[in-house]
Amino acid sequence: MSLLIDSVSKRFGEVQALQDVSLDIKPGEVFGFLGANGAGKTTAMRVVLDIIRPDSGTVTWNGKLNTELPRETWGYLPEERGLYAKMNVLEQLVFFAKLHGVRGKAAERETRDWLERFRIPEYADRRAEQLSKGNQQKIQFIAAILHDPQVLLMDEPFTGLDPVNVALLKEAFLEMKDRGKTLVFSTHQMETVEELCESIAILDRGIVVVAGSVRDVRRSTGRQMVRLAVEGDLELTWLATLDGVRITRHGQDYTEAEVAPGHDPGSVLRSALSRGCKIRHFEMADPSLEQIFIEHVGQIDTTERTLAPKAAQA
Amino acid sequence: MKGWRTLFPNAWYVAVREYRSRARSRSFVLGTALLAVIAFAATQLPVLVDFAAGSSQTRLEVVVRASGLPSDSLSVLDQVLNSPASSDPNAHKAFVLTWLPGADVTQARLEALTAGKFDALLVIDRDPSTQDLTFLLRTDLTRDGPVVKAISSALTNLEIEDRLVRAGTSTGAILAPYALEVVPADSTASATNSVGHEVSTDLLSTGLIVLVFMAIITYGMWVAISVAEEKGSRVMELMLNATTPLQMLAGKVIGNGAAGLTQYGIVLAAVVGGLLAQVPIHKAVVGSNAGTQFGGLAPNVLAAFVVLFVLGFLLYSLLYAALGSLVSRQEDVQSATSPLMVLIMAGYFMSVFGLQSIDETWVKIASYVPFFSPYLMLARVSAGHVEPWEFGLSVLLLGMSIVVALFLAARIYSAGVLLYGQRLSLREVLKAARVSR
Repeated sequence: MSLLIDSVSKRFGEVQALQDVSLDIKPGEVFGFLGANGAGKTTAMRVVLDIIRPDSGTVTWNGKLNTELPRETWGYLPEERGLYAKMNVLEQLVFFAKLHGVRGKAAERETRDWLERFRIPEYADRRAEQLSKGNQQKIQFIAAILHDPQVLLMDEPFTGLDPVNVALLKEAFLEMKDRGKTLVFSTHQMETVEELCESIAILDRGIVVVAGSVRDVRRSTGRQMVRLAVEGDLELTWLATLDGVRITRHGQDYTEAEVAPGHDPGSVLRSALSRGCKIRHFEMADPSLEQIFIEHVGQIDTTERTLAPKAAQA
Repeated sequence: MKGWRTLFPNAWYVAVREYRSRARSRSFVLGTALLAVIAFAATQLPVLVDFAAGSSQTRLEVVVRASGLPSDSLSVLDQVLNSPASSDPNAHKAFVLTWLPGADVTQARLEALTAGKFDALLVIDRDPSTQDLTFLLRTDLTRDGPVVKAISSALTNLEIEDRLVRAGTSTGAILAPYALEVVPADSTASATNSVGHEVSTDLLSTGLIVLVFMAIITYGMWVAISVAEEKGSRVMELMLNATTPLQMLAGKVIGNGAAGLTQYGIVLAAVVGGLLAQVPIHKAVVGSNAGTQFGGLAPNVLAAFVVLFVLGFLLYSLLYAALGSLVSRQEDVQSATSPLMVLIMAGYFMSVFGLQSIDETWVKIASYVPFFSPYLMLARVSAGHVEPWEFGLSVLLLGMSIVVALFLAARIYSAGVLLYGQRLSLREVLKAARVSR
């Protein structure tokens, strides 16, 4: 009983958009798709939505094929944002709700309710073209969830939003989760993933390179991180001389080093003590998702990141 | 395709949205208003013509010094000068005649002429040797102007009439009524159509064909633009999960078609209103009644028009939608739909030429070809040379082609809307369509 993507492959001409992709997304879970541009995130979502038919493989939700499921099952926030520019907000939201089978008065009530929750009730009678991009994005999010879908698929939902609206959207996310919805979204923003997701999959050129719970993925390389700060020595150059240890970052607060699989992170602490260092900070941690991502995929393409603060190193 | 089972109500919601956004757009409101005003104004043209004529009425005094003029001389002059004769005695007249038998050209009369109390003085004498009538026209009107020419040709008639009477006959006797009967070559039945009726039918069917032509071009283009706009604004992405391509296509065609019919209805109302208002307006402006002639429209022609109009629009607008999905900018719609334009123009010109040779084999064949039948079958029906089964077959073929077009358009559409960027060639899209749902 889950959203099961079973060996899905899809080719567009010369491009292998998805290759033998299999994922198991549990009901009620928040699931993150990570991947560079062109990795196949949007295609994967469109295949789930039955907008695109795969060359091979199947998608099932609670044991039923997606081709047999009613469209109301899904809520979709596309990456390409767009509304009917000349139509007023209430009218088009009611229109979308009706298309998804919400009838008459209920459609309008739900719409006003959500506008209220996003603190934009006064926009109900404005034309979409009069709204800022961020507000249009909120309207689209509402359009995706108005019909109370069981599964929400969102393509880059946080891109282009200011921090206040990101927080609002996260709040709405958690509410949908509390209502028992299954949430699937794609993003470039690692800290959002670490904050919201229970499970993730990293895609690279149509292939799932790693998938599972966030915890498992972070441990997937076997590496561990140590963060160390001692009185009077900011450089800590001796760390690099230890076996299996590599300095990844110098900082005011602490120096971060990576300990290769099979080596004991505790050796760093022991060696610091043996050198007579006065230790102010010592921490052992799993690598961040960004480090995992870079290791699997290479440098993150940051072109679409906008107002969001940079991950981890702020 | 699962779309069939659930075509409604979503297609209906899409249609309502299309209709509203179209009918509320400024271009629709202004365009319809402009067309209605033009249509209304056109119906008032006869009033305008009469009004312009009314300002140039010619008062003509006729001094008859000749003896033995035909008894109906005055009415002959009056009829020719004021043709076309109107049965309404109050109707506007270009000439007002004052008939003065046995009078003479007095000084007072000449002074009245120079003073402009009337426009022209005609003196009729008889040549003593030939016994022919002679005419003298005193006037300040232009020598070669239309008024003088009209008087001159009227006098020719009077002269002829006078000579005929002196020869012992009259125009009435010479031009005794005769009838020209016209029968179809393959029919033994007597004629139902006189020559005059054929001419007005030709005009009428050309008018109906132009109506079909305009509707397909204008409102079909609306469908294409609407598809391209949705793709361009990316709202398509939301619609993709909310509807199926079939629902979208059906909704768009119905919605835009209904908006088009609304525009037609309003313009038609303006025409009817204009015709009804013609009489009172004519009375107020010109001071007399107008003689409007309505062309009769046979009910079977009207029914054929409605059927072919609707089916023709459906066929073409589906293809417009498919081609509209290949582009994402409104500027590209024109070029993307140009192949259809060629097809539509071809059908239109074929029907215009076909009207001249309605019984030719090529016209008959073309009137079964779906893309041309909306025009050519209409032309044939209004010419009255169609058997019921011929019409039925043509409509059946047209209906079947609509079903084919629907599936083809849905295919192209569902593939086309997902492909952005450069304008796509039809071949690329068909390749993509094979693998999409």
